[in-house]
Amino acid sequence: MIHHNALAKKSPACGGLIVRARGTNGRKVGSLTRRQLERYDRQIMLPEVGVAGQLRLAQARVLVAGLGGLGSPVCTYLAAAGVGRLRIVDGDRVQTSNLNRQVLHQDADLGVTKVESAMAKLSRLNPEMEIEPVHVPIDETSVGDLVSGCDVLVDALDNRRTRLVLNAAAVRASLPLVHGAVQGFEGRVMTILPGLSACLACMDRGGRETTSFPVIGTVPAVMGSIQACEVLKCLLGVGDLLAGRLLAYDGLAQTFTEFKVTRNPACPCCAEPGGGST
Amino acid sequence: MSVQIHLHRTHRVHAGGLETVEVEGRTVGECLEDLARRHPGMRDALFDKHGKLSRNVEIWLNLESTYPDELARPTKDGDLLHVTVMLTGG
Repeated sequence: MIHHNALAKKSPACGGLIVRARGTNGRKVGSLTRRQLERYDRQIMLPEVGVAGQLRLAQARVLVAGLGGLGSPVCTYLAAAGVGRLRIVDGDRVQTSNLNRQVLHQDADLGVTKVESAMAKLSRLNPEMEIEPVHVPIDETSVGDLVSGCDVLVDALDNRRTRLVLNAAAVRASLPLVHGAVQGFEGRVMTILPGLSACLACMDRGGRETTSFPVIGTVPAVMGSIQACEVLKCLLGVGDLLAGRLLAYDGLAQTFTEFKVTRNPACPCCAEPGGGST
Repeated sequence: MSVQIHLHRTHRVHAGGLETVEVEGRTVGECLEDLARRHPGMRDALFDKHGKLSRNVEIWLNLESTYPDELARPTKDGDLLHVTVMLTGG
């Protein structure tokens, strides 16, 4: 357990100030350089972050599944916030029709894999961050390795089937999953804490898939930013997560509505033996 | 037994553009049936050809999920139903 406790010392080797954070047991848990202190100054000032929180972000690994409309703002804000390692996964290449909303990708990236395109932008945004690009489709075969070693998973996918695969992996590995989805002027976000709150399968009615969907680019920008905020809160251990709370956004009315989602005792994914999952 | 139904934006065309409709019913199913009676176009929007709730429609009762067994959920005077549709895009 890390608490917000830091010691400032001069470090000649680094030519500047290094701030070290210590855990509740008094052991050093890491340090930030002068440059990092400056870069993240506006969030380190927050009592919810501090030096210890910033170190926690730096030591985290987050999986972002999908580098489209949602994945673009999610990755951008996690990189800007100083999350240490991003595992970015997408099996697609950049197409012209992506560019109205997928702001990590640009005209010059057409035909390039989305992971390559995203990695180039994110590396420029934050060169200190470690990026693990994975250009594979997410399926039952690949998902176990993809989630391994991660602290939080992000569902920025564009289809129900793959979402359920990622959801099942999150439940199996007991990893928080931040779900997002968009269509038209609408979007939604919900955080899944396996064993504690409803998972995606708890509310899945088996709806039909659509291969292409209409969407205005600002909606995934809004929802992806909320997803990134959920990830940061997860990693920092602060605030109230959207666990069991589906936050629905209507961009035409400019309203947010919160729906309560309870665990389904008969959930095919997360129900516990005997049906005691509520 | 008066219940308000907040319609999804894509369904309002079937209800004369109304955002909310007042219906009568002792269960969610009865309320939706009354809605379809008043606005026949809503039947195809909400139900499949077998009369089951369409798989991409979600029903919320007083801002809480009704899944599973949505149609059997009891309603009372003053309740609010929301109809939403599943979103899949990203």
